Amino acid sequence: MSNNYFNTLPLREQLEQLAKCRFMDISEFPDGVEALKGKKIVVIGCGAQGLAQGMNLRDSGCDVSYTLRQTAIDEKRQSWKSATENGFVVGTYEELIPTADVVLNLTPDKQHTPVVNAVMPLMKEGACLSYSHGFNIVEEGMQIRDDLTVIMVAPKCPGSEVRNEYVRGFGVPTLIAVHEDNDPKGEGLALAKAYAVGTGGHKAGVLMSSFIAEVKSDLMGEQTILCGMLQTGSLLCFDKMVEEGIEPGYASKLIQFGWETVTEALKYGGVTNMLDRLSNPAKIKAYDLSEELKVIMRPLYNKHQDDIIDGTFSRTMMEDWANDDVNLLGWRAETAETAFEKTPAGDVEISEQEYFDNGILMVAMVKAGVELAFETMTAAGIIADSAYYESLHETPLIANTIARKKLYEMNATISDTAEYGCYLYNHACLPLLADFMKDIKTDVIGKGLDLEDTGVDNARLIEVNAALRAHPVEAIGTTLRGHMADMKKIV
Amino acid sequence: MNIHLDNLTVNFDDRFQLDEINWQLNSSQHWVVTGANGSGKSALAAILAGAGENLSGSIEGLPAKVGLVSFEAQAELIEAELKKDDADIMDVIAEGTPVHEILNPGDSNQQLIDELVEKFQLQSLVDRAFRKLSTGESRKVMLIRALASEPDLLVLDEPFDGLDAHTLEMLQQYLATLIETVPMVMVLNRFDEFPDFITHIAYVDNGRLQHRIDRSDTKAYNELYQLLHLKTTDLAVPTTDPETAIPTLDPTQPLVRLSSLNITYDGHKIIDSLDWTIERNQHWQLSGPNGSGKTGLLSIITGDHPQCYVNDIFVFGFKRGSGESIWQIKQFIGYVSTALQWEYKVGTGLRNVIISGFYDSIGLYTKATDRQKQIADEWLALLGMSDRADTPFNKLSYGDQRLLLIARAMVKHPPLLILDEPCLGLDDMNRQLVLALIEKICAGSETSVLYVNHHPEDKIKGIENYLALEKREPDNS
Repeated sequence: MSNNYFNTLPLREQLEQLAKCRFMDISEFPDGVEALKGKKIVVIGCGAQGLAQGMNLRDSGCDVSYTLRQTAIDEKRQSWKSATENGFVVGTYEELIPTADVVLNLTPDKQHTPVVNAVMPLMKEGACLSYSHGFNIVEEGMQIRDDLTVIMVAPKCPGSEVRNEYVRGFGVPTLIAVHEDNDPKGEGLALAKAYAVGTGGHKAGVLMSSFIAEVKSDLMGEQTILCGMLQTGSLLCFDKMVEEGIEPGYASKLIQFGWETVTEALKYGGVTNMLDRLSNPAKIKAYDLSEELKVIMRPLYNKHQDDIIDGTFSRTMMEDWANDDVNLLGWRAETAETAFEKTPAGDVEISEQEYFDNGILMVAMVKAGVELAFETMTAAGIIADSAYYESLHETPLIANTIARKKLYEMNATISDTAEYGCYLYNHACLPLLADFMKDIKTDVIGKGLDLEDTGVDNARLIEVNAALRAHPVEAIGTTLRGHMADMKKIV
Repeated sequence: MNIHLDNLTVNFDDRFQLDEINWQLNSSQHWVVTGANGSGKSALAAILAGAGENLSGSIEGLPAKVGLVSFEAQAELIEAELKKDDADIMDVIAEGTPVHEILNPGDSNQQLIDELVEKFQLQSLVDRAFRKLSTGESRKVMLIRALASEPDLLVLDEPFDGLDAHTLEMLQQYLATLIETVPMVMVLNRFDEFPDFITHIAYVDNGRLQHRIDRSDTKAYNELYQLLHLKTTDLAVPTTDPETAIPTLDPTQPLVRLSSLNITYDGHKIIDSLDWTIERNQHWQLSGPNGSGKTGLLSIITGDHPQCYVNDIFVFGFKRGSGESIWQIKQFIGYVSTALQWEYKVGTGLRNVIISGFYDSIGLYTKATDRQKQIADEWLALLGMSDRADTPFNKLSYGDQRLLLIARAMVKHPPLLILDEPCLGLDDMNRQLVLALIEKICAGSETSVLYVNHHPEDKIKGIENYLALEKREPDNS
């Protein structure tokens, strides 16, 4: 079994690495893609992310080709087709890796160890190996040859958006990092910056972070608020509505599109704006529910963060990898059999506002999950900027996948680490919320509050509004959204 | 009164022709006839006073007494007076017909004439010879004559032209007192001169009556305003921003050179071994049926097609795939298409949409300079959209969006302007708006236009080079 790199570091350095995250100004990129000019870039893997990044880099004037495993080429798999149809040179590791100045490893985490072990001996002396996720380095402790430069460039959006935003003349927020143990020529940062420019990321905002901060925050966000909370919330809310006599088609639709609708408000104005979309009595209700949820779920969030920090999570997941993914595949099959997953969205009209009014509990769950994830991450030493991106910022992106094809689509789109962590969270959270759900009625999920008088107590409303706005995720959110004000809504 | 013009074609001394006019007017309506210079608007009004030779179709219900005021009628009358002078064989100095005789050819209301003479302040001129009057004075005489004839229909061709402010106001007020008694048709060029009582507007273009609009139809009225604005205002294409100026191209090199271009989808060749060169200052029309590869060919030039990297393509001084970025290519191109309009679904304000043309982006992600804002405002003025500078783009009508995207494409004065079916999906009015704008651009800049159209016969003035693509049947090549 591999050695956890993070655990080999002294505490001082662990804390220092966890706290690395700085929003870079666009003026810090005056050299554009110069550091990559004339260099040969070879991308390993041609999935959505790999294709999008390669196309952007090529359109920025870089020399890009793709390397795939011999079998993928022989069988003309989708990755081979994608690369070939888009006019890229495609070759085997043996053909292309020795010619590469920069190798972009854009394969799934699970394949990193075999892939890196296969390409490393073929790489040129002094070349650069780039990751878009630090799991392999941080959790698996992959040792990279001393002469190689190791960097990370991670666009914080799905591949399709990475490409679309570039074509529009913009980009997506991108995290960059240099693995300090592997920066022999001190050119890691220059390469990472040029790469971020090549994919358009510098226009939308670049966060300079560390491999460790990226891994520990990314894992935490994806398995709790981003995927886990939405999966657990979907299942609980659906079953409750059906139990209370709500028409299943309606219940299915309210959830499938509800996450997307309420988190759209989150994207624009944070938790405050999401709750401001509710009536005053509903806002107070959602606030109270979320406070209750936070008390119940806080130990679970702490456990996830602790397991991530000390490596327990990655160790158990890698054990499952070694065990032919028995757990993962079992849980995936189980999800497919849930009532929510099997009930198609009904042919009913639900207005945008109705998703808020009839989904008070969903709003409360999103609020509780975002704040808990953010609080837990910052308490573990992760800086607020990172914690914001890995919680609030990405929630709408995941909600969009549920709107497309429910939980199946979400779990198919997210990374293998996210999917595994999501199931872990779901299994723990379902029983944890069982008692809480007993008291839930259709006024907070399905039908909305039944009020003759929408009046509220002034003092209480002031208290709730102040509490919402005072949360630290709102302060950092306001700053970071200001940087991204240019990311206009694409209707 | 009920006048019917049915498919009427009228010839004016072989100088001009009005074609297939369909128009109905009744006594409760007051019309303005408008259009660009030379469009035929005066001729259309003159028909109502019996002018022209009817070649086909019919005109019915013309009233017996039509009071006509126009420069043509004025000129005719003056010419007739001068002829009288020539024809005078007696050895006396001919004074010509005095104004009072012109004013009242016989049966007009003399009391009304006296009233109007006073209103127009012509008292001192009534005994003078008509031909000795100034143009402005003789125009006033024409107006009084027409008004005093107590006509069944008043046809006034540019009646306000050349009148001093005082007289203009008096005349407008006077006309307003007549609206219950006599229907009017006025030829007017400027929307701000349309009197409030006007109920309908006829728009004439190229000898045809293109639009008949009820004034209460605000949308149609506004579109017509814009169209007339573009057709009649003598605005030059705004200058561009020297600070974001496009690099100078080598004048000896073509803009685009494609050598044995192949575009393949799923193993099927859409374009097979095409050679094509666009030289500087050449205008091209590209045509071909659906599926013939027009859009694919364009996106090869713009750099949006991935197969531009596997072909031998030379654009704006770059061999594609030699380390250039697509933004270096796009800076030389202005591009408009339906697809772009679909993609341009942003709530950005109109001024910023135009400025985004400097950066070739959808939406604006850079702080605009004052100079850029000023240029954008000049374009908005040219489009007649100045009052909407901050309106979100997606709140605009489809046709207005298209106009704005053309301005966005032109704002940087690109060496090549690609218009991919610019009129697709537009109604007739908007189509004319777009074409009027393109004409302005072609006439006023050094941009080469690549105009793409479904129909090879649908030609644009000034384009002499044609490339017609054919649809290739699947051949598994």
